[in-house]
Amino acid sequence: MRFRVFLAVTACKLSIKILRLFGRGGTAIPGKIALRICPDLLAALAKDVNCVVVTGTNGKTTSARIIEEIFLRNGASYFANRSGANLINGVTAVFIENATLTGKPKKENAVIECDEAASKAVCKLIDPAVVLVTNVFRDQLDRYGEVSGTLNNILIGIQNSPNAVVCLNADCSLTASIAERVPNKVVFYGVDVPIYKDPVSEVSDAPHCIRCKHEYDYTYRTFAHLGGFYCPDCGYKRPDPQVSVTEILETGVSHTRVRVRVFGDDDIVTINLPGGYNIYNAVSALTVSEAVGFPRNTAKEAISGFSCGFGRMEEFDLGGHSARIILVKNPAGCNQVLNYLSGLSEKTVFVCCLNDNSADGKDVSWIWDANFEKLNDLDALIPEIYVSGIRAGDMAVRLKYAGINEDKLRIFSDYDALIAAMQTQPLPVIIMPTYTAMMDLRAKMSAVFGGKEFWE
Amino acid sequence: MKLNICHLYPDVLNLYGDTGNILCLKRRLEWRGIDSEVTALPIGANADFTRFDLFFIGGGQDFEQEVLLADLHSGKDKEILSAIEDEKVFLCICGGYQMMGQYYRTHTGQQYDFIGALNLHTLGSDLRMIGNYMFRCEALSGGSTVVGFENHSGKTYLGEGVSPLGTVLHGYGNNGEDGTEGARFKNVFGAYCHGPILPKNPEFADFLLQTALSRRYPGATLPPLNDVLENKAHGYMTNRMEKAV
Repeated sequence: MRFRVFLAVTACKLSIKILRLFGRGGTAIPGKIALRICPDLLAALAKDVNCVVVTGTNGKTTSARIIEEIFLRNGASYFANRSGANLINGVTAVFIENATLTGKPKKENAVIECDEAASKAVCKLIDPAVVLVTNVFRDQLDRYGEVSGTLNNILIGIQNSPNAVVCLNADCSLTASIAERVPNKVVFYGVDVPIYKDPVSEVSDAPHCIRCKHEYDYTYRTFAHLGGFYCPDCGYKRPDPQVSVTEILETGVSHTRVRVRVFGDDDIVTINLPGGYNIYNAVSALTVSEAVGFPRNTAKEAISGFSCGFGRMEEFDLGGHSARIILVKNPAGCNQVLNYLSGLSEKTVFVCCLNDNSADGKDVSWIWDANFEKLNDLDALIPEIYVSGIRAGDMAVRLKYAGINEDKLRIFSDYDALIAAMQTQPLPVIIMPTYTAMMDLRAKMSAVFGGKEFWE
Repeated sequence: MKLNICHLYPDVLNLYGDTGNILCLKRRLEWRGIDSEVTALPIGANADFTRFDLFFIGGGQDFEQEVLLADLHSGKDKEILSAIEDEKVFLCICGGYQMMGQYYRTHTGQQYDFIGALNLHTLGSDLRMIGNYMFRCEALSGGSTVVGFENHSGKTYLGEGVSPLGTVLHGYGNNGEDGTEGARFKNVFGAYCHGPILPKNPEFADFLLQTALSRRYPGATLPPLNDVLENKAHGYMTNRMEKAV
């Protein structure tokens, strides 16, 4: 066993070095090699590491980044799967990178973002101390499945985490339902009040009661199916959260200020990111911090001071004006970007990059479930919309049928031309790419404008 | 002129962006100065079916299927059948297409009885037929191609009196076996085609609109539109699939 661990760890570390030598940051292949040599490797490596697992459809990366910042500011020894390698191979690789050749951990804690389906296996192997579930939405990646399938995967992950404190989003009827199906200690978090004045109207991913299938009513909604849900028939309702946002004090282009109640104590928190969904990400991280037992003030500082994740509101300087990249994966995320755009105060160019590789979802029809009609209200604010990516044609048609004047659209068949156009025009830019479009575009933009490589 | 469009079960049959078809119909009428009114008919709601010219029904999740079938069998099925007899236009996609048939039988043998408007049935299978696909649609002038995305594990088989909507050029179609895709019976058009089907296949969209318009206003025709963007998106996919064969 010990020799196999040594062999697997060595092979993995070596292959990561070789890949980086060729300028590639992949961790999936090294992880796969290691697991081939020693299938029990992850359990062995994680045995003496305190793990926080972050899963759910949207907000995993940003929540994990804030949690990481909380660990950092508490001076805790930790590592995290930074590059979004959130399947079992990638998670294994990051544990190897943070272990000695004999498989001893170099750090005491780990913050692990984990894919919903992979959480079943990952949780079983690493026995997490805390599991955070952000939300469950219909995701274009597993569109042939149903949201109930995603929920079930997460449930099994938690059932495989007997020692974990579980932090659940109380506003998501699907996520909250996990509480009654596991014996774990549960802490709920949520947002007690509406977030947007005029949110885009959305198709609910969970209109019917998970217990009795009757239609839910809401005392208020934040967005999508999140909010004060209750079933008028069987009485299933949003649980009272122990950590909640009680008032939205200020929503700015670059930050949000909210009043929170944490186990009965009122406080004010500044979130160093705009967008309503980032309020959820921040309060989820605050909840995890409480579950771990960190001091509250450090968590507050982390939330107000952390910097953006990879492609998540990440900012580039185009030379006098800025570009922000906001990764989207599904209609819910897309609608949140549209909500964010409607809160802007200065004229902005909006860029949509739609790809259809496996990591983006091969079916691009989800763009018709997002409410691009909202852009009609922003006609004066957004003078031009640029369209690019493998399926730029589909994106342009979607915008045309949303009611956007064709003269406003500019289609770019390659990213070099797109980047040049963004740079020569004077307005700030908001770029909304799918995953592989983000990877390609980000690499090109980093080369031109400076930025970190993705595995750093 | 005005067409009345009925969107059946938008509350539960709302997967895969298929509501984009409703938007497409509305816009293509609007751009020609023709009025339209869309009536959403969720579970439990009723309406006078004789008002409508065109119906759309999409696909949904299994979770809601029982609720839906109960509502369907409480009277809407008869309304739908008589609307079909009246030669009204129906566009039925994926789950909505299966639902117009006789039944769906899962591979464990459980049978769900549907409307039976079209002589076809669907059998559950282990194979997920998923991916970009295209078919030649015989109804269209010159048998033009329709492009889209299919995503189903049910295999549909057509019985007598029902013709396929098209011939598969790339992908699986009805069952991955007989080269057929979709079904046509009177003015009911069923297909597995997501995408959604209409915006990227403007010729097919206009064929449905023209059929509905001619029924309501004999002799009326649709003036052509500027479909440069639509045809570009369509052409990109036909090229890509032709190269992939």
